[in-house]
Amino acid sequence: MQYFMDGELSCLAYVKMYLHSCLFPRCSVNGLLLSSSSAGGAVCVTDCVPLLHSHLPLAPITQLALTQVKEDLRVQEGDQKGRREPGCRRWPNRLVELLQALVSRVPLPVLSPVDFCRLGTDCCPFLSRIMLRQWEETRDIASQLLESGDHGLLVDFDGHLDDITKDWTNQTLNAKIAELSSPANGSI
Amino acid sequence: MASLSEMYDVGWEEMRDKLRKWREDNCRNSEQIVDVGEELISEHSSKLGDDIWIIYEQVMIAALDCSRDDLALTCLQELRKQFPDSHRVKRLTGMRLEALERYDDANKHYDAILQEDPTNTAARKRKISILRAQGKSTEAIRELNEYLEQFVGDQEAWHELSELYINEHDYGKAAFCLEELMMTNPHNHLYCEQYAEVKYTQGGMENLELARKYFAQALRLNNRNMRALFGLYMSASHIAASPKVSAKVKKDNIKYAAWAAAQINRAYKVSIEMSYLDSTFHCFYSFFFFIGY
Repeated sequence: MQYFMDGELSCLAYVKMYLHSCLFPRCSVNGLLLSSSSAGGAVCVTDCVPLLHSHLPLAPITQLALTQVKEDLRVQEGDQKGRREPGCRRWPNRLVELLQALVSRVPLPVLSPVDFCRLGTDCCPFLSRIMLRQWEETRDIASQLLESGDHGLLVDFDGHLDDITKDWTNQTLNAKIAELSSPANGSI
Repeated sequence: MASLSEMYDVGWEEMRDKLRKWREDNCRNSEQIVDVGEELISEHSSKLGDDIWIIYEQVMIAALDCSRDDLALTCLQELRKQFPDSHRVKRLTGMRLEALERYDDANKHYDAILQEDPTNTAARKRKISILRAQGKSTEAIRELNEYLEQFVGDQEAWHELSELYINEHDYGKAAFCLEELMMTNPHNHLYCEQYAEVKYTQGGMENLELARKYFAQALRLNNRNMRALFGLYMSASHIAASPKVSAKVKKDNIKYAAWAAAQINRAYKVSIEMSYLDSTFHCFYSFFFFIGY
């Protein structure tokens, strides 16, 4: 089933998608696009969560990753005043809820394949028209991070399972992208 | 720009040994191999003796992986001069053509090798890789099956076939390939874990129970395998939640799931303590460095 609608892709989402594909140039990768949209309105993709780079068609890790992301978002919504902590530090406190969610019948979000071979403005086939604010600046930020080797900072969920001290929510990288895209840097 | 040896204060012997270690471990860190190998070849080739030829091969393959055709061609030309009739060098020529997406020319090279030597497995596997690169999964699967009828012990081929079947969502046949791998590699926890994931994906009570058993086996072989821990929890919990199982099976699986949950909890607690210790260590180290220790 395909949804065709107008949408906007944020700098953060695009750069993380780009860096995820650059980090694993020999693999297929997948991730989750997080968006907000009003009923009947345009989709605004605000963030991207890189998930897997191996065995994409297998269920267990995909189910685990999606459940963790859902739990993480639920905590963020409820935790309005609390300090944002890396995902791995929250695990022991929320483990029970997470593990319960894993085995409950949690409806999964719709996933749409994104063609990483076309990492340009037409990379999201489910959006008929896509708006990228300051496309040139976004592309420059992505290139700059790649050339400086900062794409190595990105951790996907597969990488987190290989080493659970690594933060799959990518707080450090998010901060770097926010810094580069801030108005103080002459960007957005 | 400073060379690698100047930046990291390493000698040519260390660079040579590093390349050997990457070769032996079969690491695919092509960017690093290109950086180290290119400097070694350009500045220290006379000191390497006969090692130079295997280094040329290693750097050439890494250069193809990084789209460094200039470096790949340089290495290939040196190898051709030294070994003009070698099938191994002809295979490298074919790989360069593959990198340039000249698949028909590459196939002609491999066919020529196979005509002279029908048992050359490397050339056959390259032909299958071309099919995979072209997205012809069905033909690749067919060719790989024919290959494995003749070379039944080739574990790399069995693993490649399992990956192809997984991508085609043919989980039954993927499981068969992984069973072959587990028979020849009974101590490899990754094969057990992957087999369990395939069984979990197939679904159904029987497959879930098999999945649980093989996740547990993976953990016996490596108790730090987080995927296996989560897999054990998920499969045991699903079995316990099923209305079709007996009370004893339900009770046993609740126990397994509780154990897995406790192990996961413990692993994350330890990882947090380590990351606190690590940051504390760095603070201390910086402090001592600052005051001149």
